[in-house]
Amino acid sequence: MKSWTRREFGRLTGAALLTALNQPKARGQAKARVVVIGGGIGGATVARYLAASATAIEVTLVEPRQTYATCFFSNLYLTGLRSFESLSHGYEALAKQYGIIVIHESAVAIHPAAKTVALNNGSKLSYDRLVVAPGIAFRDRAIKGYDEAAMEIMPHAWNAGQQTRLLRQQLESMEDGGLFVLVAPPNPFRCPPAPYERASLVASYFQRRKPKAKILILDAKDSFNAQDLFQDAWNRHYPGMIEWLPAQFTGGVTAIDAKTRSVITAGATFKAAVANVIPAQMAGRLAQLAGLANRSGWCPVDPVTFESALQPGVHLVGDAIIGGDMPKSAFCANSQAKACAFAIAADLTGSARFPAHLFNTCYTYLAPDDAFSNAISFKPVDGKLKSVISFVSKVEESSEVRRQAARAAEGWYDAFTHDVFG
Amino acid sequence: MRPVARSAIATGLVLLFSQSGAAAGPDQGAQLAATCASCHRLDGGGTGIPSIIGLGEERLTNALLAYRASESPNHIMHVIALSLSDEEIASVARYVAAQGSNPR
Repeated sequence: MKSWTRREFGRLTGAALLTALNQPKARGQAKARVVVIGGGIGGATVARYLAASATAIEVTLVEPRQTYATCFFSNLYLTGLRSFESLSHGYEALAKQYGIIVIHESAVAIHPAAKTVALNNGSKLSYDRLVVAPGIAFRDRAIKGYDEAAMEIMPHAWNAGQQTRLLRQQLESMEDGGLFVLVAPPNPFRCPPAPYERASLVASYFQRRKPKAKILILDAKDSFNAQDLFQDAWNRHYPGMIEWLPAQFTGGVTAIDAKTRSVITAGATFKAAVANVIPAQMAGRLAQLAGLANRSGWCPVDPVTFESALQPGVHLVGDAIIGGDMPKSAFCANSQAKACAFAIAADLTGSARFPAHLFNTCYTYLAPDDAFSNAISFKPVDGKLKSVISFVSKVEESSEVRRQAARAAEGWYDAFTHDVFG
Repeated sequence: MRPVARSAIATGLVLLFSQSGAAAGPDQGAQLAATCASCHRLDGGGTGIPSIIGLGEERLTNALLAYRASESPNHIMHVIALSLSDEEIASVARYVAAQGSNPR
């Protein structure tokens, strides 16, 4: 075991005592234990809100990485508009201010009957409730030839980190006049507007640095999120630079050839200078191993408590769940995580239950000073998460309104990551 | 404006508060404010998104009622406010206003 234990517990005592002054007394029994696996947006938010709302609960967060880099806003890093450091967030505040026990190990197995989690270092954690926030994994053989070695040549950059850095290096070293091919995945996938935001911001970068370069989007779908807003912006900002080919034109991407950096569809082969291949997705590996995913590859949950429909006592939030009308976005993960935390707190401590409010809000960049936003509210109806009210920016909005949205997006990132990581 | 006239204008709000006082505990306000925190920093910091700290209960309530009534000027706040009942608006306004008087 690493040296974090004693140090973290030392810090924890002070923080926990301070918090305890403002909280009703625990019911004179041992603290309930909640283990959260996965320190992405969903997992970190559950841990934080559980720890903040109930001192009678001991919260342990299991996350192998020391820092988390957000996938949202990584398109800005990719095109030179933000530093990688600005996307990176540590877990120190969650440990120090909220008294969360943070263990930097991987969870390798879940034993729901014994209510234990096995860690990579051989140790075991016992829980009263478990929250799993495993994010996404890529489906094997979704595109022929796209294996781990190919990812180092034709990056997905769909988990922020080394892959994002690699794609940025490739874009920077690409010669003017080169072809950037973006392979967009089938539904459902993490962050529906993001492939098209990526194309938009890469176009903006090309316009500044490589004005003769072209972008080709080979889509697994025949339409995409906020298509009218994107296509309007592509015509206004980058006329002739971005071509989008729906699956009905190409038959879809069937294979890649990493040696020649080629993307192969049913009818043609496209040779790229830089290729970004975003494959089909499913719930993260641990969810598959632990029997939390059904045949769809995603995890069915109760829409009120986010408890697994397959394993009682285990809750899931974020991209891995079957979210009904809720898209796979960081905002949704954060919103689900709060509802889940309050439901677990009510179960374990008897605190009051109130109707949950679930939302998605997205700011999406069309150009560095042109962003649009949407907002949707959701409610559980007949066991499913249904969208209730939805508003999105309009095509005819003024450039000043769009500039304001781009500024608001920056402020949102700051507030949101502060909400998640403290 | 004289205080008397002002409170007369705000009569509707006063009723709103007194109705909800018994039903809504502080927990509800805290849970609703968790939604605010996804975009607004509750320590009063941040730029680009207007701060909601230090505004007071009445201004927060008025703002939420106005956002609920119209898509303009902000469709995000319109969606948020439309999901809130009168009682929930009172509850979250009271909670957020209290954060302003007790800065961390």
